[in-house]
Amino acid sequence: MRVLAIFGRSVAIFIPVFFVATFVTFALRALSGLSPARIQLGESATTEAIANIESQWGLDRPFLVQYWDWFTDVLHGQLGTSWVNGADISTLIGLGLGVSLSVAILALVLGTVLGFVLGTTAALRPGTLLDRAITGFVTVISVMPAFVVGIVLVEIFAVGLDLLPSGGYVPLEEGGVGLWLAHVILPALALSFDVVADVARQLRTGLVSAYRENYVVGALVRGLSPRRIFFRHVLRNGMGPALATLGIKFPSLVGAAVVTEWIFGLQGFGRFANDSAQAGDVPAVQGVLVVSVAMVVTFNLLINIVLGRVTPASQRGV
Amino acid sequence: MTTLAKSTLTGTDPTETGPTESPETGAAATTAEPVLAVRDVRIRSQVDDREIVKGVSFELTPGKVVGIVGESGSGKTLTCRAVLGILPPHFEVSAGTIHVAGEDVATLEPRQLTAMRGSTISAVFQDPASYLNPSIQVGPQIAEVIRVKKGAKRREARRRAVELLAAVHLRDPELVYTQYTYELSGGMLQRVLIAAAIAADPRVLIADEATTALDVTVQAEILDLLADLRDNAGLALVVVSHDLAVVAQLCDEVLVMREGEVVEQGPTEQVLYHPRHDYTRLLISEHEQYGLEKFLTREQS
Amino acid sequence: MVRRVLSLASGRLAVGILLAIALLAILGPLLAPQDPLATSDNSLTGPSAAHWLGTDYLGRDVFSRLLDGSRVSVVGALEVTLMALVVGAVPGILSVYLGRVFEWLTLRIADTLIALPFLLFAVAVTALLGNGITQAMLVTGVLVSPLFYRVSRAATLAVARSQYVEAALISGASLGWVIRRHVWAKVLPPIAVALAQTLGVGFIIVSSLSFLGIGVQPPEPTWGGLLASDLGYLDYRPSAPFVPALLIMATVWASNLLADAIRDVSGESGRALVNTRKAKANQLAAGGTA
Ligand SMILES: Nc1ncnc2c1ncn2[C@@H]1O[C@H](COP(=O)(O)OP(=O)(O)OP(=O)(O)O)[C@@H](O)[C@H]1O
Ligand SMILES: [Mg+2]
Repeated sequence: MRVLAIFGRSVAIFIPVFFVATFVTFALRALSGLSPARIQLGESATTEAIANIESQWGLDRPFLVQYWDWFTDVLHGQLGTSWVNGADISTLIGLGLGVSLSVAILALVLGTVLGFVLGTTAALRPGTLLDRAITGFVTVISVMPAFVVGIVLVEIFAVGLDLLPSGGYVPLEEGGVGLWLAHVILPALALSFDVVADVARQLRTGLVSAYRENYVVGALVRGLSPRRIFFRHVLRNGMGPALATLGIKFPSLVGAAVVTEWIFGLQGFGRFANDSAQAGDVPAVQGVLVVSVAMVVTFNLLINIVLGRVTPASQRGV
Repeated sequence: MTTLAKSTLTGTDPTETGPTESPETGAAATTAEPVLAVRDVRIRSQVDDREIVKGVSFELTPGKVVGIVGESGSGKTLTCRAVLGILPPHFEVSAGTIHVAGEDVATLEPRQLTAMRGSTISAVFQDPASYLNPSIQVGPQIAEVIRVKKGAKRREARRRAVELLAAVHLRDPELVYTQYTYELSGGMLQRVLIAAAIAADPRVLIADEATTALDVTVQAEILDLLADLRDNAGLALVVVSHDLAVVAQLCDEVLVMREGEVVEQGPTEQVLYHPRHDYTRLLISEHEQYGLEKFLTREQS
Repeated sequence: MVRRVLSLASGRLAVGILLAIALLAILGPLLAPQDPLATSDNSLTGPSAAHWLGTDYLGRDVFSRLLDGSRVSVVGALEVTLMALVVGAVPGILSVYLGRVFEWLTLRIADTLIALPFLLFAVAVTALLGNGITQAMLVTGVLVSPLFYRVSRAATLAVARSQYVEAALISGASLGWVIRRHVWAKVLPPIAVALAQTLGVGFIIVSSLSFLGIGVQPPEPTWGGLLASDLGYLDYRPSAPFVPALLIMATVWASNLLADAIRDVSGESGRALVNTRKAKANQLAAGGTA
């Protein structure tokens, strides 16, 4: 029952988000002034030919009508066809989604696990040498942009030690777990640093401030052991900010795919977005952006539900 | 624990045989072994190297109630926290001893302290909502104590927790069991907190301003509940309050504190009706000026 | 506040590094010992007296390119920050006063901007709307502006609802004094923290975009671009990415450090820190005399 209520509330928050985001995305074409005619006919086309092609693509209709058509198609999973080669954009993005999702999910898992370990370790011994060492380490990795981490990882593991491939991708069903992991672990690590840093920091702060709350004194007075107090009471409440951070971090994780896929030569949707944008293929770019927004929204829905389960009090009045 | 819940459930008749002495056998009680003995305790702040509590002593035998009154910041809460072994960071007991059930708290290992808290000595505070975990239903928090401290199984713990909620006079204990702190009123929360505090059958309960934030009628009900527990379960109480009416109603002995010092100490009647220290007189006259209405309501009820 | 930030060692370090980088941006192109665009035959050499950081694949002097490229990064990061400040803080403050419709609308827009994967959007928008680093930075500024929106809105709300402002006004203080004394004290620190944070994010974005070659014309050097060109020649010059990467990281670190320093001197955590230090000092003193 509670889950349903949280779900309903989250959907209510994310519907406007999705609307505004798709609208902005769609407005890109009008703002850019790009047209399929230029791509197909080149710079020297006659105005007549241009008008002809534009009406073929339905670009001569009113803006809002175009938007509504496109939006309803998007809801049906149809992202239109490429200006460059007429291919179905949903199919094109689907091809790259496997790589990108593999990397993003692995990065998320790595980042959460490592960040969790570092954050709790530091929070349990605030002010000690260990705490300061962890805080220092977290600071260092938090200032390393994904592409710097990527380069460093390539240097160490591919060029230096020659342990892992420096790029490329083998899907799970073709090469098995070993080969798949060998190809996605470095990009995932590169992406995960940011997550590790944020989760560790938020968790540390969250736990330290949760430890200051009166309910810890309450549990102590009732004779519960420090261990139980940590796992049953403090962790549960201190986790909130870290979880929320995951939701906030996810968009930049998705966005950073542009960079890591470039470094590691992966044909994911980040690469697809970059290539399409450079080529002026507006529908393809719009497709990628819509897919990325949908991913972000879905992920945040999940986070909201988990948050609602873990800390029900914080959900009230949202 | 069942004895407590049952005896409280069965009624408030003090003549019914409790596990220990009832107040009528007061002479016997004073000669009994003290469950809590505080001797000349001094508390120091390491931050500015100041002595904040300057020598507090009292003894508490089963079924007795000691009251501590005094102005804000006089060190009442710190004294209680020292007894529980939970002084805030940078505070330490610099002199004196605290014996709980005959054991010197200072010599206990952390593990032994944990074992002692809840099952020998427990506490409730002002602002009960904040002393319960906001993310867990209140019932399971009581059941948790029963499971951990008494080794009860899950279902048994739940059953006893509901019983306790009934024992602290909460209507519809089954419903309250499944509610969160933000769904309960201040008075209900204080009852829940008391239920959690007595879940493992402690022998001493410290009530630090447990009724301060509540409105007068609710306050009276909670005080009745504490009196019940004292009478029927032989619980020894330390009651901290600003309110002299609370002290007058409940306590056998009173300590008056000011700026960390105990300025007056003695049997309740003597301190309240024949105060020797100026500060105590001031407290009483202030109470007569501002608290009269409150006092009268309580007397009538 | 400036003086208190500078009283912290971390604050001084952060300001020092940022000033040095700013100086580099202003004077860098003048200091460059060689023409950053001049190619030569001895390509991919290691560090030497003539080329302190070696040469790249076209034989260009890496040190000169690094100095020359600093301006793009600094100006870019500043553009992101200022854009975000204006686009975020102004509606953030106004949302408290301009009525529910405006409030609802700006809140939804802020929610949306947060949900956009900004690197992806920055890449898309910059490529589609014309290749210029300034456009890219302004777009990015808009995308990261919700931070300022949230922060300034929260602070304004706190001030608008607080009773001490009312109390001060009732007790006869002038409006100007109240704003200087109370409103600024409440609004300024969180905005300063957000500024420093965004500066760090700005550096990361500028270098990421220039790494991808977006918003820069090819021969023009940038820190990110240097890294990108090194990537293809790691086998020949494995140490090449070291200096540009270090520069980027130092700048981002200094920005974060500054944010933390501002937070420390203006919040609760500052007091806890001081207490711990005092307690330690007292213990030491007590131990010393005993
Ligand atoms: N956590 C703490 N940190 C710093 N100082 C504290 C802390 N707790 C108490 N003190 C100081 O110790 C002194 C005694 O505080 P204590 O809480 O014992 O007073 P109290 O008698 O319980 O007051 P009140 O009636 O207002 O609850 C006060 O001067 C207070 O400033
Ligand atoms: Mg107190």
